[in-house]
Amino acid sequence: MTVADALMLALGAIAVGSGALVVTSAHLVRAGFYLVVSLGATAGLYLVLGAELVAWVQILVYVGAVVVLLLFAVMLTRAPIGPSKDLDRPALPAAIIGGGVGLGLTVLLVDAFRWTEFELPPPGNGRRVGEQIFGAWVLPFEVLSILLLAALVGAIVLSRPDIGARPDPNAGAEPSPAPGPVGESPEVAARLERIAARQAAAQSRVRAQRAAERAAEEGEPVDEAPAANRVPTREDALKDQARDVVFRAREAGPKLGQPDKSEMSAIEGGAKSAERRVIEGSSRETGRRAIEGSSKETGQRALPRSTPEGEGE
Amino acid sequence: MHAVIPYVVAALLFALGVYGVLRRRNAILVLMAVELMLNAVNLILVAADSTIKSALVGVQPEAWAHAAPEPRAGAIFALFVIVLAAAEVGVGLAIVLQYYRLRRAVVLDEVALHEHDHERVPR
Repeated sequence: MTVADALMLALGAIAVGSGALVVTSAHLVRAGFYLVVSLGATAGLYLVLGAELVAWVQILVYVGAVVVLLLFAVMLTRAPIGPSKDLDRPALPAAIIGGGVGLGLTVLLVDAFRWTEFELPPPGNGRRVGEQIFGAWVLPFEVLSILLLAALVGAIVLSRPDIGARPDPNAGAEPSPAPGPVGESPEVAARLERIAARQAAAQSRVRAQRAAERAAEEGEPVDEAPAANRVPTREDALKDQARDVVFRAREAGPKLGQPDKSEMSAIEGGAKSAERRVIEGSSRETGRRAIEGSSKETGQRALPRSTPEGEGE
Repeated sequence: MHAVIPYVVAALLFALGVYGVLRRRNAILVLMAVELMLNAVNLILVAADSTIKSALVGVQPEAWAHAAPEPRAGAIFALFVIVLAAAEVGVGLAIVLQYYRLRRAVVLDEVALHEHDHERVPR
């Protein structure tokens, strides 16, 4: 009985005892910490047996990563603090099978190694292990790295519910309708559609008026006839809209702190420019008028830009 | 040094792991018991690495009876098993957590294996 024997016996007793507590403890978190103790004692056994690198890798990977991961899982699954009652199945079959396995293995190994005495290999074999790994065992090493990568990707795919999720076959064919711009009830949606239609009508009216004005200013009354005859296509509408957005809104938009020109004329009562402001979305008050009967909040949400003049009113 | 001590310790740890896997209902505790079993195998590998040369004294010097031609092969195998255990516990815990997200339970007895509810998109 040497010192190494005594050390191995003590470490083995710690490992087996805390392992028994791992599989019998009623506290989930305590089972994790007993697992730490058991794995640490096994790392001590590795040290005594002369495998330093394995011992430190055991400490790093098992105690540092695996047990922490297990404890994270315990927390994420809302394990109760304190003993849990329904943690175990009936003990008898498990005890029979486990005891049988333990007895069989113990008898086998004791029979094989009963009188074997061995000398420790010389210490400091980390260098030899490294040479072996990157020499004779380099192909399994690379395969293991690929396996680790696969496990990483698999764990990510498994834990993200939006990757590879198929639609429920029982849910029916139609998907749920996309939420509207406001996400409101159908009445609100219909009201918003009505507002949009009214605004489009007003926009086309104003645009025709403006075209007439432009033609009158340039002194070309001939231009009006083909413009009136030509059927306005969608492309023209889009072009007009873009021009309005780019030029008109920029120059007619409200400046900070002062009412702009069109609003000054609106104060004087110009219905035409007020209508224009509806299109440009620069006034809250006319927007409210355009809604006509809808609630005030909806109008304000549809036309959120407020002006100092609008607040003055 | 007596070679029988680490072997017996490894056998007992493996038996405890088997008992834990069969006894426990919580999936995380089952994974802990699996870790115990893998640890026992590692201990066997490391112990065999140190002791197999002494254990084979007196055996006829045939080809299979020579001690491992690559020195420290048992330690390297133990390292590989540790890596495998890390990968296993990563994927296993991902499965357990996904199941918990679907069913709010980690009890292995109540896993329904014949349904297809796993195809439902979790809300």
